[in-house]
Amino acid sequence: MKKKYSGIEKKLSRWGWTFVTPALLFFSLFSFYPIVNAAYTSLFRKKILSLKPPTFIGLKNYAYLLRSDDFWNSIRATFAFTLGAFLPLLVVSLLLAVLILSVKRGQKFLQLAYYAPAVLSSVVAAVIWMSIFDPRGLGNQWLNFLLNTPGTDHKWLADSFMVQLSTILVYFWKYIGYFVVIFIAGLAAIPGSLYEAALIDGADRWQSFWRITFPLLKPTVVLVSVMAMLQCLKTFSTQYLFVQSGSPQAPINVITLNIYNTGIRDHMIGRSSAMSIILFIIMLFFTWLQFKTTKADEVSY
Amino acid sequence: MIKQKFSPLNVLAGLILLGALVFTLVPILFMFSASMMPAKDILRMPFRWIPRGFHWQNFAKAVAGNDGSFIFIRNIANSLFVSSVVTVTTVMLSSLTGYGLAKFRFRGRNFVFLAIMATMMIPFEAIMIPLYLVATKLHLQNSYAGLIVPFLVNAFGVFMMRQYLLPFPEEFLDATRIDGASEPGIFWHIVLPNCAPAIATLSILTFRSQWDNLLWPLLVAQSEKMKTLPLYIVKFAAEKYTDEGAMMAVAVLGSIPMLVLFFSMSQYFVSGASVFSSRKG
Amino acid sequence: MKKTLPIILSLLIFSLPLMAGGAQEEQGPMTLTVWTHEDPNRTAIEERYISEFEATHPDVTIERVTNSSQKMPELLLTAFAANEGPHIFNTQIEDAYAYIVNGRVGAVDPPSAGYKSVKALKDAYVEGVLDAVTMDVEVYGLPLELTNWAPYINKRVIRAAGLDPDRDYPRTWEDIVAVSEKIILRDGEIITRRGFDFRYPYYLVSMVPMVEQLGGQLISDDGKTAIVGDEAWLKFLRFMADWGPFGKNLGSPTYTNARKLFDADNNDMAMAMSGLYQEGRIRADNPEFYESGDWMVIPFPQFKDAVREAACAYYGHFYMVNSQKSEREQKASWEFVSYMLSHPEEYLTEVGLIQPTRALMASKTFSDMPYAQVFADDMARGSMVYYGENSAKIQELIKEAVEGVMLGGIEPEKALASLKVKAQEVLDQE
Repeated sequence: MKKKYSGIEKKLSRWGWTFVTPALLFFSLFSFYPIVNAAYTSLFRKKILSLKPPTFIGLKNYAYLLRSDDFWNSIRATFAFTLGAFLPLLVVSLLLAVLILSVKRGQKFLQLAYYAPAVLSSVVAAVIWMSIFDPRGLGNQWLNFLLNTPGTDHKWLADSFMVQLSTILVYFWKYIGYFVVIFIAGLAAIPGSLYEAALIDGADRWQSFWRITFPLLKPTVVLVSVMAMLQCLKTFSTQYLFVQSGSPQAPINVITLNIYNTGIRDHMIGRSSAMSIILFIIMLFFTWLQFKTTKADEVSY
Repeated sequence: MIKQKFSPLNVLAGLILLGALVFTLVPILFMFSASMMPAKDILRMPFRWIPRGFHWQNFAKAVAGNDGSFIFIRNIANSLFVSSVVTVTTVMLSSLTGYGLAKFRFRGRNFVFLAIMATMMIPFEAIMIPLYLVATKLHLQNSYAGLIVPFLVNAFGVFMMRQYLLPFPEEFLDATRIDGASEPGIFWHIVLPNCAPAIATLSILTFRSQWDNLLWPLLVAQSEKMKTLPLYIVKFAAEKYTDEGAMMAVAVLGSIPMLVLFFSMSQYFVSGASVFSSRKG
Repeated sequence: MKKTLPIILSLLIFSLPLMAGGAQEEQGPMTLTVWTHEDPNRTAIEERYISEFEATHPDVTIERVTNSSQKMPELLLTAFAANEGPHIFNTQIEDAYAYIVNGRVGAVDPPSAGYKSVKALKDAYVEGVLDAVTMDVEVYGLPLELTNWAPYINKRVIRAAGLDPDRDYPRTWEDIVAVSEKIILRDGEIITRRGFDFRYPYYLVSMVPMVEQLGGQLISDDGKTAIVGDEAWLKFLRFMADWGPFGKNLGSPTYTNARKLFDADNNDMAMAMSGLYQEGRIRADNPEFYESGDWMVIPFPQFKDAVREAACAYYGHFYMVNSQKSEREQKASWEFVSYMLSHPEEYLTEVGLIQPTRALMASKTFSDMPYAQVFADDMARGSMVYYGENSAKIQELIKEAVEGVMLGGIEPEKALASLKVKAQEVLDQE
C-alpha cells in the first residue's frame, strides 16, 4: 500500500510490539493460562472435589458430548437464542443511534433512557422482569390489551416457545442501550461534513446513509456485530435466572448453562471443560467468518 | 443539525423512538415506584404505579442494612473506587494496545489480535477455578488488588479502540513523525486526545460492567469491608429475608453514580467528533 | 523480541502452579475462617458466640464470612477446588455429601466437641438425623438446622370462601384440590386467588414424599434402580397434570411463589408450604397479620389411598470442618462449632432454626413455639431428603417430568418412561 524505508518500518514494528506487550502479559496470566488450563482439564475424567489424581481419557469427554442429546439440545438453544437476539440488537441499535442523532432536541435524554436498563443491577432487573412475566403481571395485561384477548395466559415463562422469546426480550432490553452508545461513538467519529451531507435531505436520506455513512461506520458495525454475537453465544445469567424462577429448563438450556450445571452443580469438571472448549471453537469460527465476510479491516474514504 | 420536516418519515422515526422509550423505561419506573412502597404493596397484583405515599423506611433500611451496620456506605465506596480504577486502567491499556494493533505493522499482529479476541470466547464459568487459583497464588484474596487486578484491561476495550482507530488518518501520524515527535509522545498528545468519543463510551461501558460485577467479587471479597455494591444487593435478595421495597431502594441509590457518570460523559459522544473530522473532512 | 516474548509468556504460564503455598504452624496464635450463608438474625448471635469463644481461647481468632445462600455452593466448590477452602463451613446436605465422600471434611473429634464418644454424640441427637453425615462409624458434620415444611393456612381467605378453617382444613391431597376449587378466583384463565401452591423447584423435599405415600420410591433400597413403582409415579404425575393449567387450572410453577404472598395477606393466597422459620417472617413482614392469629399450620396432607404415611422430607445444613487443615486447627474448629451449637434454644427463638437435639425437642421453649408440634410430628413421619452427588441432577429430571405433564401437555406415561431412562443413566454413572 505504502512505500516506506525499511529502517523506519523496523522501528515502527518494534514500537507496535512495545505497545501491545503490557496487555499481552496481563492476558497471559488472567486469560490465556485459565483457558489453557480448561483445555487441559477437558482431557480428564475429573470430579471437582476429588483429591485423587484425575484419569486421563483423551478425547472421550468430547466423544460423549457429541453423542449426547442433551448437549445437542444446548447447541440448538444457544443458536436459537443467538439468532433471535443478535440480528434485532444489531439492526435496532443502529437504527436508534441514527434516529437519535437526527432529532434536534433530547438527544442526551434519549441516549440515557435507552441506556438506563444497563444501569440497573442485574439482581433487581430479575425481580422486575419476573413480576412482569407473572401470569398476573404486566406482560399478560398489555398483550391481552393489544390483542384484545382478555383473560388469556400467554405463559411467558412456561411455554417452550414463549420462554425462549421472553429470554430474548429481557436480553434485548438489557443490551440495546449498550450498543446504541457504541454506535453513537462510531457515528461521532465520522467526518462531520460527510455525515451531515448524509443526513441533510429527507428524500434520499436512506440512500445517502447506505452510500456514505454506512461504509464509514464499518469498523463500528463489525465491532458491534462481533460483540453482540459473542455475547449472545455466551449468554448465561438471563437463562439461569429464568430456570431459578421456575421455567422449564430444556428450551433455554444454553451451552453456558449446561457448562455451569455440569461443572458446578454436578461436579463433572472435565466434561464441562470440554463443553467450554467446543463453545470456544464455535465462537472462534463465527468471529473468523464475520471478519472474513465483512473484510473488516478495509476502510476507505 | 438538520432541518426537521413534518413528513411521514419523521413521524415514523418519532414513533420508533417513543416505542423504544416505553420499552426501556417501564421496568425502570417500576423500580422507582416500588422503592417507595412497603413490600406488601409490591406483591399486589395488578401493580399500583403510583405509590400511596413515600415509604421512607425502605431507604433507611437500604442504607442501614439488615443488621444496622451501615456497611452499605463502605460497600458503595468500594464499588466507586474499584470501578473508577478499573475504568482508568482499561481506557489507558486498551487505547495503547488498540493503537498498537491498528496503526503499526508487525509480524504476528493478526495473531496477537486474535489471541486477545479469543479471551472473549470462553465463558467466565469455565475459567473461574483456574482464575481463582491464580488469585490465591498471587495472594490477591480479600484485597482491593484482588478486585481490580484481574480487570485491568479487557478484550472488548482493545477491540473497540482498535476499530475506532482504524480510520485514523495515517498521513497525519507520519507528518508528526517527520516533525520529530517520539512514538509515546504521538500516542499521548495526538492519538489519545482524538479518541474522546470512544474513550467516553469505553469509560461508561467499563464502569458499568464493574459496577454490576457479581461473581468475581463474591469469590475474592470475603470480609464485609471488602464487599462491593452488587454483593450488598444480593444480600437483600437472600431467599428467606427478601424485602423487595428495601431492595429496590438499594437499587435506586446504587444507580445514581451511573446516571451521574453518564450525564457527565455523554457530551463527548457528539461534540468530540469535530476534532477527528476537521482533519479529514 | 518476536521469539523471546512467547517464551517469557509460556514460562510465566507454566511457573504459576509451582509458586509456593504456606506452611502451617503447630503453635502460637491461629485464625479460623468460617464461611456461612447470610442470615441477619443468626449473624447477631453468632458474632456474640465468637467474642465469647475468643475471650476463653486467647490464641484463636475467628473470621466469619457470610455470602448469599444461593451462591454458597459455588464459592465453596471453587475454593476447595483450589485447595483454599475455609476451616469451617456449612452447606445443605445435598451439597455436603460430596465433601464427605471425597474426604474433603474431617470427622467430628468427640472430645473437642464435648462428647465422650461418637455414640454419646449420636445419642444427643434425635434418632437418624445424623445418618446423612455418618460414614462407616464416624460423624462428619453437626446440624445447624433441620427443616421440614407444612402447609400454612390463611384463615381469612378460607372463611371468605365460606369454609370453616378449623373444621374444613384439608387432610388429604384430594381435600387440597376440593378446598382450592372453592377458594380459587380467576380472570379468564389467569388465576387471581389461589388455594394452595406447591414448592416447585424443591421436588425432592416436597413431592417425592407424595410418591412415597403411594408406595413408590425414588431410588430402590439396594441403590441400583431409579424411579421405582410405576403405578405410584403415574398417579402422582396424573395428579399434577390435573392440577395444572391443562387440567383443573389450580396453579402452575410460574406464578409468584406462595410463601412471599402469604405474609402479605393480600387475599390472593390461602395455603402455602413453608418451614417453622416462616413464623418469624410473618411477624417481621406483617405484624398485624401475625398477631391476629388468623393463620395456622396443618400437617402435610396424605393421599386418600396412601399405602404408607409420609410427611414432607426434611433437609438441613451441617457445620463441617476442612480436612486439609492441621489437626490442631481442626480440633479447635470442632471446639468452636460445638460452642456455637450449645445454644439450640437461642437458635430456635432468635433465628427460627431447629437443631434436632433430644434436649431441644423435649424443651418447653420448643413446645411454646406456635405449631411447633405440627412440625415435630411431621418430622417423625418424614425422612431425610435424598442426597448424593447426583441429587441436583435427579431433581432436575423430576422437574422436567412434572412440568412436562403440567405445562407441556405431555402424557404422564411418556413423561414417566423418559424420567426412568434418564434417572437410571445418572444413577449408573456413579
